[in-house]
Amino acid sequence: MNEYDEKWEDRINALLDGELSIDDAELLKAQASDDRELARAIVEAYQLQQVMDQVSVEQAPQSLTKRLNAIPREHRSKPVFSLFQPRWAMALAAIPLVVISISLMRPDTPSASEIAQARQEMAIAFAYLDKAAVITGREIESTVGHTMANAVTGSVNKVIQSENLTSKEKEA
Amino acid sequence: MKRLLMSKFVIGLFCTLLALPAMAQEDELVDLPGYVDFGDLSATYGEPKITINLGGTMLNFVGMMSSSESPETSEMISKLKGIRVQIFSLDENVDAAREQFGKTKSGLKSSGWEPIVQVNEDDEQVLVYMKAVDGNMEGMTVMVVDDEEAVFVNVIGQLNPAELAQVMDKFDVNVDMDLD
Repeated sequence: MNEYDEKWEDRINALLDGELSIDDAELLKAQASDDRELARAIVEAYQLQQVMDQVSVEQAPQSLTKRLNAIPREHRSKPVFSLFQPRWAMALAAIPLVVISISLMRPDTPSASEIAQARQEMAIAFAYLDKAAVITGREIESTVGHTMANAVTGSVNKVIQSENLTSKEKEA
Repeated sequence: MKRLLMSKFVIGLFCTLLALPAMAQEDELVDLPGYVDFGDLSATYGEPKITINLGGTMLNFVGMMSSSESPETSEMISKLKGIRVQIFSLDENVDAAREQFGKTKSGLKSSGWEPIVQVNEDDEQVLVYMKAVDGNMEGMTVMVVDDEEAVFVNVIGQLNPAELAQVMDKFDVNVDMDLD
């Protein structure tokens, strides 16, 4: 574009866009009648505008639109860590599900086999207690004699029973 | 690096959630007056050959299951809140085990436990302790150590040895215990 074109370009564009005042438009037309170059520039600009008006805008394919829209997201700087990121939001949402699943896997009511196992374990504990009682009874007997052994173990039982009776009386 | 740390955090959180029920049951027993803290027995005795931990909930179910066949047993179990048993083999280092036994005994005394029966022989020791709070029996502890094994039993709740002897016939259990 030469100096001549630059000089008149703005005024020609304004004329075609209807933005030029009536006086300026008349002045430009008067000048064009004396200047063939100017007249030809106005005519070419007018013809170009006509052609451009006839060109219709084609709609881009959906896939291309998506890819073009994704470009800014791909070039955006990634945050280091955020709980609002989808993966962490999903992980946090999964925690209550895990807790509920665990509670369902471990119901409050034990199975029959678990109760039977517990009964067996309790029996083993009682057996050891009973054995310890036998040892202590035997030791007392060997030390103070059979009669005194019964008296001692009996008094021990009475002490424990009295504690239980006291407890029951308080409950009553 | 941060992703690795977060992965470890999530795995740790998941494991903690899995262990919560067991921890809750242990906490339930720890708060009871009849609970005995035996300390880290495995440090002295090694891994136990038998470990039993029964909480109040499980004992209630056992008691309910026993009610039809043995009301006496069910009645006795209903007074219990927990049973803990640890049994260790003493293949070696018996002296260290006996020393630990003495420490546990001292700990019981300082925690308000009263000795009921004590047997102090060269080859075996038996200690029976009871704890009562405001006249209520809260627990019983029995410890036995000889040349071959150490037994630690903590019964939380009320247990009458006379009742125990009566109901033992109901249980078909014969422990192989080298105590007599």
